Amino acid sequence: MAEAMKQSVATMLKGIERYNPDNLSTLERYVVTQARENAYDLEANLAVLKLYQFNPHLFNIEITSQILLKALTNFPHTDFILCKCLLTEQRLSEEPISQIMFLAHILEQCDFQIFWKRIETMPDMTSRITGFLDSIRKFVCHVVGITYQTIDRTHLSQLLGDINDSTMKHWIKKYGWREDGNLVFISNQEENIKTKNINEKIEFDHVAAIMKSCR
Amino acid sequence: MYNEEFENYDTYNVDQEYMGHTGDPALDSEYNKQMYKMPEVVKKYLMYFRNAVNEGLVFELQTLYEVTWPKISDDFFEKRPWPEEADVSALVDNDMVFMILYKELYYRHIYARIQGGPTLEQRFNSFFNYCDLFNYILSAEEPVPLELPDMWLWELVDEFVYQFQSFAQYRARLQKKSDAELETLNAHNKVWNVLCVLNVLHSLVDKSNIKQQLEVFANGGDPDSVAGEFGRHSLYKMLGYFSLVGLLRLHSLLGDYYQAIKVLENIEVHKKSRYAHVPACQISTSYYVGFAYMMMRRYSDAIRTFSSILLYVQRTKQLFSTKSYQHDQINKQTDQMYHLLAICLVLHPQCIDESIQQTLRDKSYHEKMYKMQYGDLQEFENCFIFACPKFLSPCPPAVDTAPEDYSKEAIRYQTQVFMDEVQQQKCLPTIRSYLKLYTTLPLIKLATFMSQNQRGVEKDLDKETQLLTIHLLCFKHKMKNVVWSKGASGLEGKFQSGSELDFYIDNDMIHIADTKVAHRYGDFFIRKILKFEDLNRKLHHLKL
Repeated sequence: MAEAMKQSVATMLKGIERYNPDNLSTLERYVVTQARENAYDLEANLAVLKLYQFNPHLFNIEITSQILLKALTNFPHTDFILCKCLLTEQRLSEEPISQIMFLAHILEQCDFQIFWKRIETMPDMTSRITGFLDSIRKFVCHVVGITYQTIDRTHLSQLLGDINDSTMKHWIKKYGWREDGNLVFISNQEENIKTKNINEKIEFDHVAAIMKSCR
Repeated sequence: MYNEEFENYDTYNVDQEYMGHTGDPALDSEYNKQMYKMPEVVKKYLMYFRNAVNEGLVFELQTLYEVTWPKISDDFFEKRPWPEEADVSALVDNDMVFMILYKELYYRHIYARIQGGPTLEQRFNSFFNYCDLFNYILSAEEPVPLELPDMWLWELVDEFVYQFQSFAQYRARLQKKSDAELETLNAHNKVWNVLCVLNVLHSLVDKSNIKQQLEVFANGGDPDSVAGEFGRHSLYKMLGYFSLVGLLRLHSLLGDYYQAIKVLENIEVHKKSRYAHVPACQISTSYYVGFAYMMMRRYSDAIRTFSSILLYVQRTKQLFSTKSYQHDQINKQTDQMYHLLAICLVLHPQCIDESIQQTLRDKSYHEKMYKMQYGDLQEFENCFIFACPKFLSPCPPAVDTAPEDYSKEAIRYQTQVFMDEVQQQKCLPTIRSYLKLYTTLPLIKLATFMSQNQRGVEKDLDKETQLLTIHLLCFKHKMKNVVWSKGASGLEGKFQSGSELDFYIDNDMIHIADTKVAHRYGDFFIRKILKFEDLNRKLHHLKL
């Protein structure tokens, strides 16, 4: 359904039509569909926030929260910041937006243990977003993947939200990592992260003209 | 031809003519109509100007617009408006098109030069004049026979967006408004409405098929093949192009960075093209694009955008210095971009062009960067506020709100969003400065270093190591950003670590990779050679 809506919604986002408040209800339904079907369309969601920005009386806090939570699922992309920039100071202090802001803040700082603790206390909010927790785990795996060559197994499990052994095996397999006793081998970072030396290269052609004039 | 007459012209009683001012704009304009005698030079200028517009003498218009208009403004209308509509209209046989163009310049002059800014009535009238202008251009059955210099067209579109911005800010300052003013404003909420402004810009874009033209052009084709009847016309084509930049600015002012970058699809910002030959437009484009990238945490892209335009400004500086009114604007924006570049480089250290680096080292930027590196959040905020666009809220404050000043709300909010980001990265410079000293470093050792930073309380090393690990993950996360490399849209790109220092963790050991830049001698020697040559040449010319 989300796939089908994507097409019809795309025409609503073209040119000046994007600002037509008559489209809002369709776009809002699309947000709910995305949440339910684990689909994602940043551009459409930004258009909703834009319509709220232009028509404050149409503001819907429930839809806004879903948009923000969906933006969290697309970390490490900075979609969340893009959404945040279209809100106002006053909106940020409203519940539950303020809570979502806090979640984003600790995710940005990669303080995953606090994140998992906090998320336990708000099951209603996240259960409406299909695949929410796994999306966050994907982000954790992304950060682990760029940081570690090998990581302590217990530590990894904590980062992923104290998952059980079989789930852990699933994630390790999914990312092509390798268990090695107490450690998990992530990837061979040595090959990519190397000291670079930038030396000046002067080609003859570049200085030919000036050499000629020096005669 | 006018200059001569300026010299001879006796600036006799210009001041006396205005002695009868009452301070009431309505009465004053009545007074002006009756009493004001237009200097002959101005009369001649306007008549000649109208002729040039009608006959499409673009080259002539360029001088009349860029040189003569500012000169006459300085000489005769430094602190007062140009002659009223009725007086000019009589001179030019009520030429409708010329009068619209004249009024656009007339209001622009009021916005720029008149103390206290335009009155409410003037703001409204300027808006209606824009409506007349765009109606004339957009609702014509066939392209209108009008040709104006590109510089003028750019400044026209830019001014249109500026006046909207100015109005939105004026509108949000409720504290000084009388009840009557508020009533007028509420009754006319369509005037300078954001949708109206968007509509004009989008219509100009659509009418000219500029998006299709740019796409074909980017793929090496002939833009005229898709331009259509209107888009082939220089007036429509350039208005379309400048409207894209106008939209970029407008979206940025509203905090919509995604649309800001998206609207420039198929324009390679740092590349010269047949559309990008108005320097002020190019500079403005890069400013907003770079800013949007910075807010999206795409520091590499922001740094590339800023350095490339700043290099261009450095190299072409002499070109601008003669045209003073553009010069001020360009100087301001350049200074702002150096600030933004400084912020980006503190957050995301990376190699940049040597001559830009030199400017950052020379001027006051150096001290600011130093403070930011040492975590002075106030300095970050000051630099940001100085350098950011003048954000605005698209909607006026609600009718029943307290009569306060709401014009700073949007700027405060965007600053907050940016400062949240800086706050999240607060630890990174310290970590970076330690990592720079090593090629390998055990986690525990770095944790000890870090805890020494916080004096006083005895710390638990295990906890410190845990905390450090979080900071290191954050470091990697924040330094790995989307970077554009190819594709029509500036939004595209791949995750890259573009910063000069990188590392990975192997269980409990940190392995560090730094970028070492060897001294560059080539540039140095070339500069010295040229200097020597120059000196040598001068010596030869000396006659003793």
